[in-house]
Amino acid sequence: MDARSLVKSLHPLEVKLLLRYGPADELDATRLQAELGYKEGQANQAFSWLSAKGLASEASRTATTVYELTPLGRELVERGTPEERFLSLLAEKGALRLPEIAAGLGLEQKDIGSAFGILAKEGLCAMDAEKRATLCPGMAASPRIATIRALLEKALAATGGLVSEPALSPAELVAMTGIARKRGAGDAAFRAAEREVVRYRLAAESPALAAELRAMGVTGDELGSVTAEVLEKGLWKNVTFRPYNINSPTARLIPGRRNPYVEFLESVKDKLAGLGFEEFDGGLVETEFWNGDALFMPQFHSARDIHDVYYVADPTKAKTIEEPYLSAVAATHENGGSTESRGWNYGFDREFTKRLILRSQGTVLSARQLPTAKVPGRYFGVARCFRYDRVDATHLSDFYQTEGIVLGEDVNLRTLLGFLEMFAVEVAGATEVKYVPGYFPFTEPSVEVHIKHPVLGWFELGGSGIFRPEVTEPLGVHVPVLAWGIGIDRMALMALGLNDLRELFSPDIESVRLRRAKLS
Amino acid sequence: MPKIEVNENLFFSLLGKRLNAAELEAILPAAKAELDEWNAQDGLASEDRTIKIELNDTNRPDLWSTAGLARQLKLHAGGQHPSYPFFSRKGDERPASRRVLVEQTVKGVRPYLAGFIVKGKAVTDPMLRDIIQTQEKVCWNFGRKRRSVSMGIYRSASIQWPVSYKAVAPDSVSFIPLQWDRPLTLSEILVQHPKGKEYGFINGQEALHPLLVDSTNAVLSYPPIINSNDLGAVQVGDSELFVELTGTDLPSVLLAGNIIACDLSDMGFSVEPVAIEYSWETPMGKRLVCPWYFQKPVSVEAARVARLLGRPFSVDEVAAAVARLGSETNSHGQYVTAFPAEYRNDFLHPVDVVEDVMIGYGMDAFKPERPRDFTIGRLSAIELFSRKAKGVMVGLGYQEMIYNYLGSGKDFAERMSLDPAELLRISNPMSENFEFVRNSPLPSMLYSESISSKAAYPHRLLEVGKVALKRPSENYGVATRQYLAFLSAHAGADFNEAAAHVATLLYYLGREFQVTEPSVEDPRFIPGRQAVLLYKGGRIGIYGEFHPRVLEAWGITTPCAGAELDLEALLA
Repeated sequence: MDARSLVKSLHPLEVKLLLRYGPADELDATRLQAELGYKEGQANQAFSWLSAKGLASEASRTATTVYELTPLGRELVERGTPEERFLSLLAEKGALRLPEIAAGLGLEQKDIGSAFGILAKEGLCAMDAEKRATLCPGMAASPRIATIRALLEKALAATGGLVSEPALSPAELVAMTGIARKRGAGDAAFRAAEREVVRYRLAAESPALAAELRAMGVTGDELGSVTAEVLEKGLWKNVTFRPYNINSPTARLIPGRRNPYVEFLESVKDKLAGLGFEEFDGGLVETEFWNGDALFMPQFHSARDIHDVYYVADPTKAKTIEEPYLSAVAATHENGGSTESRGWNYGFDREFTKRLILRSQGTVLSARQLPTAKVPGRYFGVARCFRYDRVDATHLSDFYQTEGIVLGEDVNLRTLLGFLEMFAVEVAGATEVKYVPGYFPFTEPSVEVHIKHPVLGWFELGGSGIFRPEVTEPLGVHVPVLAWGIGIDRMALMALGLNDLRELFSPDIESVRLRRAKLS
Repeated sequence: MPKIEVNENLFFSLLGKRLNAAELEAILPAAKAELDEWNAQDGLASEDRTIKIELNDTNRPDLWSTAGLARQLKLHAGGQHPSYPFFSRKGDERPASRRVLVEQTVKGVRPYLAGFIVKGKAVTDPMLRDIIQTQEKVCWNFGRKRRSVSMGIYRSASIQWPVSYKAVAPDSVSFIPLQWDRPLTLSEILVQHPKGKEYGFINGQEALHPLLVDSTNAVLSYPPIINSNDLGAVQVGDSELFVELTGTDLPSVLLAGNIIACDLSDMGFSVEPVAIEYSWETPMGKRLVCPWYFQKPVSVEAARVARLLGRPFSVDEVAAAVARLGSETNSHGQYVTAFPAEYRNDFLHPVDVVEDVMIGYGMDAFKPERPRDFTIGRLSAIELFSRKAKGVMVGLGYQEMIYNYLGSGKDFAERMSLDPAELLRISNPMSENFEFVRNSPLPSMLYSESISSKAAYPHRLLEVGKVALKRPSENYGVATRQYLAFLSAHAGADFNEAAAHVATLLYYLGREFQVTEPSVEDPRFIPGRQAVLLYKGGRIGIYGEFHPRVLEAWGITTPCAGAELDLEALLA
C-alpha cells in the first residue's frame, strides 16, 4: 500500500498516536490513557490496528498487579471510610462511647472497635476516663487516611476502576496493600489481580507516515460520522471529515430477492406475450381423456403405460368427461368419426378415459383450450408436468414444459416455420435455425426445430406441427391449428451457470441466495 | 422411440454407397431418424462396426431395421423402389404350397397369424442379428411388448406341413423350450423359464394357451413366449426359414409380416408365400396368403396440400413427392390417391399424405413466413397478481424459492403432523420419495431450513406455486390452486412477525381481510398462535408460529413462523 492509501486507512486513534510518538517511545495503554486521553479499550484498539498494518510491534510484556475498585470501594468513596466517619462524628459531637458511635454511624461494633484501634495507634484519638473516645487536640489529619482517600478517588476516575501498581507512589502502595484483598477474599475496597502489561514501539517508517499526515493536514480530530448533532449544531462547518478507504471490503447483505430460475421462466412468458400469445393454465391432475385421448393417442399407445404416467390413488377416476367431446373423441378413435380419418380401429374404453393421472405433457392445456379458443388466436402455457422417470441430472419427476397453439383460417406449415424462427431468435437467441421432419402422435405434418446457440451450439429447441384433424374436429375447431413446444431448460441451466436440472429447484438457501443469472 | 444398431457394412451395401457421419446425418431426416452413435475409429473392422440410430416415428415400424432404413433413404435420394412380387391381395393371390391351419380355439385367445417362408441364401451373422433386432423392436414397440404382435422364426426344412395354430390347456402339452434341457409343460414354462416369467402375463390366467405345432404334433413354439429348442432354433448358415407372427390385431400382425418379408427380400432372400387358413371368417376373409397386402388407399386434393403446406402444388408434384416415401400413386382430376407401400400402414387421414409430400419435397422447399393475423398477447390474471404479491414479499426481505411438487409422505405429512390421507397420493410411485403431490409449499421450506442452518440468518423464504387439494365435490376430486407461502426462520421469528407480514402483503394487494381463530387447531402451528385468514367470508389461508413438535421432526432448532394463502381466492 502506498503512503496515501495507508493514511486513508488510518483511524483517528492511530493518527493521533502516530503524530505524537516516534519509534523510540515505549508505549502502553496506561500511557495513552494519561497522555492522549484514550480509554483503555481505545488504546488497545489503536495498538492492534497499527500492529496489523505493520506500523507497531510488541516491545515487551510484563506481569503487574492491578487493583480494581470493588462495589464496597465505590460506596466508601461516596460515604467515606469508617475511620473518616468516626473522626467526623467525634468532631461534630465531641466525646462518645464506642457503642454510641456504632449506633450513630450505623456500623457494627467490631468495625468501630478496629477503627478506634488504628486511630488510637496513630495518636488521632484516645479513650478518656469515662471510656469515651475523644479526639486528640491538634491531630485532626493523618497522611494515611488522606492517601486512602486519594487512592479511592483516583480509582473511581480510572477506566473500570483500575489502578496498576507501577502508577502508585510508595506511600500509596503501602496504603493499598493495607486495604486490598485478593479475589475471593472477604469484602474490601480494592481487589488485587495479576495482569500483563504489553508495551509497543512504533515501526521505523512511522515518522515518514507522520510527516505525510502533517502534510495532508490530517490531525485525527476529523469528524467520523455525520450525526444528527453534527448537522443540528453545524459542527461540520469548521472541521473536515475523516477520509475512508474506498477499497475496504463491503458488508455482506442478505436482500429480499426473486428466484433466478423463476425470473427466467417469467422472461420467456413475457417474450411469448410480446409475440401475441395469451397465457393459459390448468390443473395438475388430468384425465386420460385430456392427457391422451383428446390428443388422438390410442389408448394402447406405449407412452400411456403404467411406467410412463403417474396414476392418482384416490380418487382413481373423474366423475364425468365433458360431452359432446367424449363421444366425438371416442368415435374418432374407433373409426374416425366425422374427421375423414379411419381411426385407430379398436374399442374405445370409456372407463379408462376417466382415469386420473398427473399431467404428463403440456399439450393437455392446448387440447383443453381448443373448445373455447378464438380464431385467430394464439395461446401458450408454461406447465408443470410429471413423468415416471428416475430423478438424475437430466431427468426430474416434475418439471416445466412450454407449449402453445396458433389458430387461423390460413395458417400453414410455412407460418409454423415462421413462428419457430421467431422462438429460435427472440426466445432462445439462436444464430442459425434448421427444421427437420418430426413425429408426434397429435400433429401431422410434424417438424422439429434445431438451433445453433452462441454458447450451447446445435441442439433441438422443440417440436411442433399442425394438429391432426382427429384432434381439432372432435373439439369443435375447424381451422388449422399450429401446435408447438419448446424446451427451455437447457437455456435456463446455461443462463444460471448450472449443469444439473435438479439445481433449478434447489432447496439450499445459501446456493439460491448466491445464484445469479448471466446478463444477456 | 426405438433405437436400432445397424451393421455398418450391411447398411451401406443395402444403401448402395458408403457415407461419412456428416453425409449420413444430412440424409437421416428423410426417415425422421437421428445419428445416435458411430464410433468409426474404435479399431474394429468395418464388418464388425455398428451405427446406432434413433427413429422418431412410432408409426413407421418399417424403418426400425437395417434394410427398411436403407430402403427409405435410398428411395428419398431418388432410387428405384424395389419390387415385391410375392404379395397377394384380395382377388389376386400368389400360389402357396404350404399352409397354416388356424383352429377355432385360438379365436378368443390370440386369434391372428401371418407367415411365409424365405430361402435361397444362407443366413449370415449380421443378418441374423438384424432379424432378431427387428423382431425385438417390432414386437416390443409396435407389438406392445409382444401383446399385440410377436414373432417366431423356424428351420423350415424340418417342419412337416401343414402347421396348426391352436389353443390348448397349459398342462396338456410339454416340449423342450429354447435355452432349456428338458421338456416343460406350458404352465411350467410360465413359472420356470425366464421368458415365461417375462411374458407370461400375456396369456395369464386364460384356460387355453396358444400353441404352434406341425402335422406330427411337434411343437414349433408357444406364442408369444418361447420357441421350441428343436424346430425353433435358427442358426447362422440356415438357408430356409419359416417366419411367423401371431397377435391380437390382424392389421398389425399382417403389417409386421409384410415388413419382415420386404426386409428379407432386400437382403437377397426369395420369399415363398404361405396360405393361412382360418376356421372362421376374419375381417379380411377366411384364407389369407401371406405376405398379404391389405392397406387402404388414401386420396388428397392438391389444393389441400397447398393450403396446409403454404405453397402451390400441382397434382404431379404431389404424386412425385409421395412416391419418394415408397407409396404408389395415381391421380384423377385434382386428387392424388396414395397406395401405401407394402410395409406401411400409417395413412389414417389425408393429412398423413400431406406430411409425405413435405418430407418428399424436403424442408428446404418451405420458407418460414411471418404470421399475418393480429392477436393480442397477454399474461394470465393470476400470473400478474402473483408477480405483484412476490414484489411485496421481496420488499419485506424474502428470498423467492421454487420447489418440486412431488415428495414423500414423511416430509409432506408425517413431519408436518398431518394425516397423509389429506394428500393426493400416486398409486404407482417411482420411489417413496416422490409418492405425494404437495398440498402446501411449507414442507419444502422447512426442508430448506433444515439443511441450511449454516446460512446467515434471518432466513426468509417465499414461494408462489401450485398445490393440489383434495376436494371430493370436484369432478376430479381435487383442486389445483396457486398458493403463496412464506417462512421466516431466525431467533426472533414469531406469530407477530408472520401477522405483520401477512397484513402488509394484503394491504399492498388491496385486499380487506379478517382473521379468526381456527375451529380446529392446525397441528402445524402452536395452539393459540395461529390465525385463519378470511376474505369475503371464506377461508383463504393460515399463518402462525410453527409448533416445536414440527420443528423437531425436521431437526430445526431455530424458531420459525410462516403462512400459506390461496392467491386465486384473493383474485376472485
